[in-house]
Amino acid sequence: MRQRRPECLASTPDLLPVAEAIAEQWHEVGALGHLLARNIDTGEELGFDVDTAVPLASVAKVPLALVVLDEIAEGALDPAMPVTLDPATKSVGPTGVAAFRHPATVAVVDLVHQALTVSDNASADALFDLVGVEVVDQRLRAWGCEGIRIRHRMQRMYDCAAGVSNNDFGLALELAIRDDIAGHHSIETLNPAYANVGSASALVALLQRVWLDRISRPEATADLRRMMGLQVFNQRLSSDLRADTVRVSGKTGSFLYLRHEIGVVTADSGDRVAIAALTRSHRRASIAHDIDLAIGAAARAAFESLRR
Amino acid sequence: MDLLAHLEAYVAVAEEGSFSRAADLLYVAQPVLSRRIKNLERHLGGELFDRSRRQVTSTDLGVLLLPHAKDVLSRVDHLRQVARAALASAAHALGVPPDCDPAALARVIRAGAERGVTIGVRELPAEDRASGLADGSLVFALLRVAPETATHRVPLGLASAAPLTVGRRSVHLESLRPRRGGGTGTPPTILVTAEDETGFAAERFRKAAARAGLSEGRVRAVATAATAAAETLAGHAVLLCPEPFARRHGLEWSPLADSTLHRGYELAATTRRVGHGVDLVLDWMEPMLAEAIGAVDDPSPKSTGADGGARPDSDSRVEGRG
Repeated sequence: MRQRRPECLASTPDLLPVAEAIAEQWHEVGALGHLLARNIDTGEELGFDVDTAVPLASVAKVPLALVVLDEIAEGALDPAMPVTLDPATKSVGPTGVAAFRHPATVAVVDLVHQALTVSDNASADALFDLVGVEVVDQRLRAWGCEGIRIRHRMQRMYDCAAGVSNNDFGLALELAIRDDIAGHHSIETLNPAYANVGSASALVALLQRVWLDRISRPEATADLRRMMGLQVFNQRLSSDLRADTVRVSGKTGSFLYLRHEIGVVTADSGDRVAIAALTRSHRRASIAHDIDLAIGAAARAAFESLRR
Repeated sequence: MDLLAHLEAYVAVAEEGSFSRAADLLYVAQPVLSRRIKNLERHLGGELFDRSRRQVTSTDLGVLLLPHAKDVLSRVDHLRQVARAALASAAHALGVPPDCDPAALARVIRAGAERGVTIGVRELPAEDRASGLADGSLVFALLRVAPETATHRVPLGLASAAPLTVGRRSVHLESLRPRRGGGTGTPPTILVTAEDETGFAAERFRKAAARAGLSEGRVRAVATAATAAAETLAGHAVLLCPEPFARRHGLEWSPLADSTLHRGYELAATTRRVGHGVDLVLDWMEPMLAEAIGAVDDPSPKSTGADGGARPDSDSRVEGRG
């Protein structure tokens, strides 16, 4: 692992030690990464290495969902239109329709729900097929979301990993780690030049615009916020934040050595903080409880120091 | 037998040397006076006056007892005078919460003295201030009311040995939850003194703590403020208190972000005493008392938490979470 001190940033000097402590804690558990947390209302922020383009894994489902919901809000796409997903042709994945063994017919807007709440790859790729990967990418650029690129369906991540490892997850992970150390990429969806990518700053900017209704249409952003609030995974950003008075609306992303989550923390007090936590590690394991918790600790430390 | 009335009759007859003049002096009918003298003579076991002559004269017993009878009467008179004087200058009892600023309270007492009103300051628990006002043992009292409707609002915060927040930020109860995987020992107990451990305020705070994810055992009532300050200084606890109390004990202090948990006060006067110029006293006393309790000027706290504020995306809050 390359040893390099991350470039910390903070809007005020008293927030800088918070960013440095998080970077230190991530380093201790062996997570390299990028963090940006910003108070949506005050603009105060802290983080480190915020501008690096990082392969997004399932975090890409957030911009996808926004483009689909935008099409629905515009009337270009019928939210009730049934889409049938066939096990023979659907994308693979462990959750949602991707894990179904029999054909399922799901309405378009419910595909968005599945893609966001349980990170269903089959539903996400059905949506990519409906609107087109290039259209999603073009819409993001039209909205001024520089720093986020959408270049492939979700299934391509699986295909690339399986292709180089003969469908052996352990081997694919080993290879990915060795590639990361060597600085070249035999798995294309881990190569920032070819993968769906985003930087922490671009993702936080997107969340901020979604939460402030400054992108797409209010109906679309409201629906995206609502569905992100229903995500079932809570092992990362929300692992140390959830309470009756604090909610996390997020989307995780996990692929080989990548462990991400972006989201917005909201509290009864009215405080709203958008966070993008993008990590990779050389841990030879698919589950790394301590890294997930370190992301949770970072989210909590950032939220508590940025709220008023 | 009313010994005092009988002694009065005896002294009057002895000094006037006449039953009729004595009766006039005491505003009683002469037969009543005569009966009293007879009763007293029976009570003492001997005659006080020689009635055989034209001029009434005292017997030897009557002469002997006269100074003693006068002494008893003068002492009773003194007793009544003292009681009257004490009642005239009776202190207006004022019930205040614990830990008021002594200098500000001294100004209240002095201002009263200048206006001829004796203010007796009594530091009492919240319930006793309310009951004292009801039963008339207090003339004025600062009563606890909800901060959002209160005339005087005293911000509450958490005092601690080390700062709880970065800079001058307010503290949220959620921040006090133990950190997962942190392993930094037991999280500090939140100490609550009697003033905040009563009625609706206690209920509100416990509910807010539960909703913020704190276990019930984290909040503990303490008997005295001094031991609470000591535990807090030792770094084992944080203390719910107003800023002046924390500063007086050399503690760090951060305000609670949820202002519905702050203290609210209303200055009230008893309804039992009318016509004592109570309203006039309230007028000059109120601003001085506000200073004594450390009230802030802003009378309308922003409501956070109580009504939830804007929560546009949580239309499914009653749904179970898988």
